Amino acid sequence: MPTTSHAKTNAGGKRRSAALEPYLLLAPAVLILAAFFAYPLLKGITLAFYHYVLFEPQNIYFAGLDNFKKIVADPNLPLILRNSVLWVALTVGLQFLLGFVLALALNKTFRGKNLYQSVVFLPWAVSGFLIGMMFKWMFNAQNGLINYWLVKAGIVAKGVPFLALPHVSIFPVIVAMVWYGVPFFGIMILAALQSIPHDIYESAEIDGAGSWTKLFKITIPYIKPTLIVTVLLRVIWVFNSADLIYIMTNGGPANSSDNLPSYILSQIFNTSDFGVASALGLLMLVLLTVYTVIFLYVTKYEDAGDI
Amino acid sequence: MMTKRLLDRLPEVFRAAALLLFLLFTVVPFYWMFVTSIKTRQEIYSSELTLWPKQFTWANYVDTLHNTQFPLYFANSVLVTVVSSLIVLVISVMGGYSMSRYRFRGKKAVLLVFLGTQMIPTIIILVPLFILFSKMNMLDHLSSLIVTYTVMNIPFCLITMSSFFQRIPVALEEAAFIDGCNKWQTMLLIVLPLMLPAIVATFVFAFTGAWNELFFGIMFINGEAAKTIPIGLNNFVQKFDINWGQMSAGGIMSLIPVMIMFAAVQKYIVSGLTQGAVKG
Repeated sequence: MPTTSHAKTNAGGKRRSAALEPYLLLAPAVLILAAFFAYPLLKGITLAFYHYVLFEPQNIYFAGLDNFKKIVADPNLPLILRNSVLWVALTVGLQFLLGFVLALALNKTFRGKNLYQSVVFLPWAVSGFLIGMMFKWMFNAQNGLINYWLVKAGIVAKGVPFLALPHVSIFPVIVAMVWYGVPFFGIMILAALQSIPHDIYESAEIDGAGSWTKLFKITIPYIKPTLIVTVLLRVIWVFNSADLIYIMTNGGPANSSDNLPSYILSQIFNTSDFGVASALGLLMLVLLTVYTVIFLYVTKYEDAGDI
Repeated sequence: MMTKRLLDRLPEVFRAAALLLFLLFTVVPFYWMFVTSIKTRQEIYSSELTLWPKQFTWANYVDTLHNTQFPLYFANSVLVTVVSSLIVLVISVMGGYSMSRYRFRGKKAVLLVFLGTQMIPTIIILVPLFILFSKMNMLDHLSSLIVTYTVMNIPFCLITMSSFFQRIPVALEEAAFIDGCNKWQTMLLIVLPLMLPAIVATFVFAFTGAWNELFFGIMFINGEAAKTIPIGLNNFVQKFDINWGQMSAGGIMSLIPVMIMFAAVQKYIVSGLTQGAVKG
């Protein structure tokens, strides 16, 4: 591959003469990923076409499209897909909005800023398990903090079992998920804000631009590439995320708060039908691929900078 | 003129209000878990909810440490997390150096594959890995978790490392070379010390990822002996009705390592990791 910088090529030529070196350095990463990621992934895709139930080890056979037929016939599927969309849209939307406000608020020095950041970014480092538990406890009908406040404020007469109500139970999980994800957006957007050169703002001020003008005419256009990449990654991540649902409602009542991955988990853990679970996994993979392609096309990712 | 000035000051008011609200929003769940952990059983379940314990007690902590397997879970978590994070670190430094300092055939493909892994739902490999580990007799053993968490963390950490290396001028290495350092000396004495923030940030990333993982653990580990914290605590839930005092105490204790680490490296994470991972 030709390079534009000849000076660099000459200076580094000696190092590159050892042609095997880059491959040797990468070998451990590539080998371990091949063995424990690529191979299982291929295996998972083939499993989707097999009848494979954990407790029937003598009864494993190639089943063609049987698993997919089962999925299509599954009366739960439309609900699960709707939930997945609701889950992603509401979670990422709120995380983005709040994360953006947080980043704007933090994009200026003040006393105790480091301490403040340590606290506010902490949810990012907490396990999904623990977050699920914390919020499950707060939404508890009898002893939960949230119901205590709602009763105190006179909004409800007595504690509401939010996590046990069909078609309601997904919302407390979304609240927990938003709490979880705001710091990530905050960190990403803050880093982008800090990359904006100050002189742009200064010249805008000389031209008489107010804060709002600066926000919409400079800040947002400038960090748009980061916003795009962050949202892209986040949608994928939230779509794939099942731990809070698993902990807080276990998809219940009656699958009404399941999204696609938590539904797959219930297939794996409860029915042990690995074939159907793998077929659902393949469906997820297809949906994600379609999403990514569309997203990159619509946002004209080439202009959005490289990773 | 007057209204314009007022409008321009509004962002400052909003800023202060927003900062305060975010602080409350973040702190309340932690606070509530902590307060629960220092209440007596009666007070936790009393119909009269108290925002601060009437009767302060460490009983939940003592109970969790003495009457459950929590200390074992904790030790398992530390072992799995530290070992897998160190492996991730070494592999990522090597691979990241390769990606940033050499031009070679297939480099772009490697980068694309690594980025692609970030998109693939890990749930797809849950079952195949389970089958693989069962054939390798690794189920119910910490090694299965160490391998899994290493694999999960390598792509992101390696890409991050590579972009950190890119920010260190090649000229530095060349100067060291001219001054008579060999490759290893250059690496150990010049490059890695400069990379310290990156190394710390990457380690923390791998650490939190492994420390917090749940589903692979549930899938691979059945016996008490190899349970990590989330899996062990998850068992508190399934067997009995949830003992919220124990759960809160265990939760707070499981948070301590992550909190210490996170506080120590917070400034690296904000300025470092993000700029490494995503160029604005």
